Amino acid sequence: MRRLGRYWWIILLLFIALYPPTLGGMSAYKSGVLIFVGIYIILAVSLDLLMGFAGQISVGHAAFFAIGAYVSGILTAKYGASPVLALIAGMALSGAVAWGVGRPVLALKEYYLAMATLALNEIIVTLIIGLQWLTGGASGLRDVPAFSVPGFSFDNHVHYYYLVWAMVLLVVGSSVAVARSPFGRTLIAIHSDETAAKTFGIDCARYKVRAYVLSACYASLAGSLFAHYMGFLAPDDFGVMTSINILVMLYLGGIGTIYGPALGAVFLKLLPEFTYQFQDYELLMNGIILIVVLVFMPRGLFGILTGIKERVFARSAR
Amino acid sequence: MAQSAEMILRIADVTKSFEGVHALTDVTFEVRAGHIKALIGPNGAGKTTLLNVINGLLPPDIGHIYFRGQELIGMSTDRIALLGLSRTFQLIRLFTVNNATVLDNVMLGAHKLLKPTICGALFFRRKTAREERVVREQAMDALAFVGLEWAAAMLPGALSFGNQRLLELARSLMSQPELLLLDEPASGLNDAEVEGFMQLLSAIRARGITILLVEHNMKLVMNVSDEIVVLDFGRWLAEGAPAAICADPKVIEAYLGACMENGGS
Repeated sequence: MRRLGRYWWIILLLFIALYPPTLGGMSAYKSGVLIFVGIYIILAVSLDLLMGFAGQISVGHAAFFAIGAYVSGILTAKYGASPVLALIAGMALSGAVAWGVGRPVLALKEYYLAMATLALNEIIVTLIIGLQWLTGGASGLRDVPAFSVPGFSFDNHVHYYYLVWAMVLLVVGSSVAVARSPFGRTLIAIHSDETAAKTFGIDCARYKVRAYVLSACYASLAGSLFAHYMGFLAPDDFGVMTSINILVMLYLGGIGTIYGPALGAVFLKLLPEFTYQFQDYELLMNGIILIVVLVFMPRGLFGILTGIKERVFARSAR
Repeated sequence: MAQSAEMILRIADVTKSFEGVHALTDVTFEVRAGHIKALIGPNGAGKTTLLNVINGLLPPDIGHIYFRGQELIGMSTDRIALLGLSRTFQLIRLFTVNNATVLDNVMLGAHKLLKPTICGALFFRRKTAREERVVREQAMDALAFVGLEWAAAMLPGALSFGNQRLLELARSLMSQPELLLLDEPASGLNDAEVEGFMQLLSAIRARGITILLVEHNMKLVMNVSDEIVVLDFGRWLAEGAPAAICADPKVIEAYLGACMENGGS
């Protein structure tokens, strides 16, 4: 049991690697579902760095998801740019936007911060609709090509599945590294008590902006992956509802744990596969899940799992 | 001004009022390097307000604060901290989010030595890990110094009130301060804990760290301080050696009497 606890990630890696040829049956649909799961894991984990660690609320994280998706979409579909360069350009623009709005916005607290981030999301969506000549506006951006690197195109769903999950591992791994580093500890201090943090020489504003930029870059990466998978972008996919969905994943999985929000994303994105009869009620279900989680399981799914793990170990040690 | 060269902190004509209430009026005094200076006075005398002004949490209406000759007014709290000025709080303020442990708290005290970055976390991992090891050892030393090494892996909330105060002190010491501002560090401690705390203060002084101490426990104040300054209604009332302050009729009228009962000097 103890060994299982230590090597769970190898089992997880094997599962991810072997899923398409076994359970997935190389099917486009099944790998598609897991591609979405992967993209949302990146979004949830990126938001966790900002909210769970730096303690800064964002109800507009889809803004950076949108920037990544549209920069990738526009540069590759309209200007024939290399997808890799477009992806990097998207991250750079997202990072720049986060850096630019970060100082003034993150000086706000609580409801005001929530409203400001919400407004940012709305501004981005409005810009996408308004700049029709560039983004295709409300009718959408067509013909985003498949992702490719020089000499190889990820035009097959299974190939793309591996690309997305490689990115997921990269983002989750680096987020865990950041969270456990002295930088992550500094964010926790700011989250805990800004005044006390300042008396130890922590420049809170600067650290919050850094966390925001990193978080925005990851969300942008998710956007680029989304654009190349869908091939078609519409502003609806990047509204405040998407931001709130990411928030639900965070709380469902267990905020401030990195793995928790990833788990929340898996749960919330797989759930409709089993309950597709009720898809008209998806919003309602999200709301109910959020309330139940907040009231009855404040540590989320991850908290429940670690609780079970501790209990099992306590028993086996006896 | 040969004398002032030894003065690590100079407070000059500091005035601060809150909506017409004068919290501090023309307060002026100095703290000599290497000394323990106690700041005493009745509740509402402006002691905590003055500490907040010194470390940049509150801007004064007028006045100057000089730390080693450098003006602090107008500087942000975090920059002042980088100069070597650390403090503890009257109401304990530990870092508790995301299961931060006692050791995490102490290691955060060393922020200005680490200056952590995202790049350090992702790309210069070996260098970061090396620095982190050094800081962890220092943090364990600081915990041992206050007698809390057994609690390193615990959550701060699980500690007793007195131990949380000691933890705050250990965290402050981690920032390698030249001047330590302590805001009622002994409030809520029992007699035995106060005894231990006095020894700690002397040990800190022996390390060459200057202390400005706000405290109500007169036994502690009389025993450890080199000099005392008394505030009353935001005004400087008296200043001098503990014995002289104890005997000062103005101080007795405004605040003390307690001096004798607690068996001070």
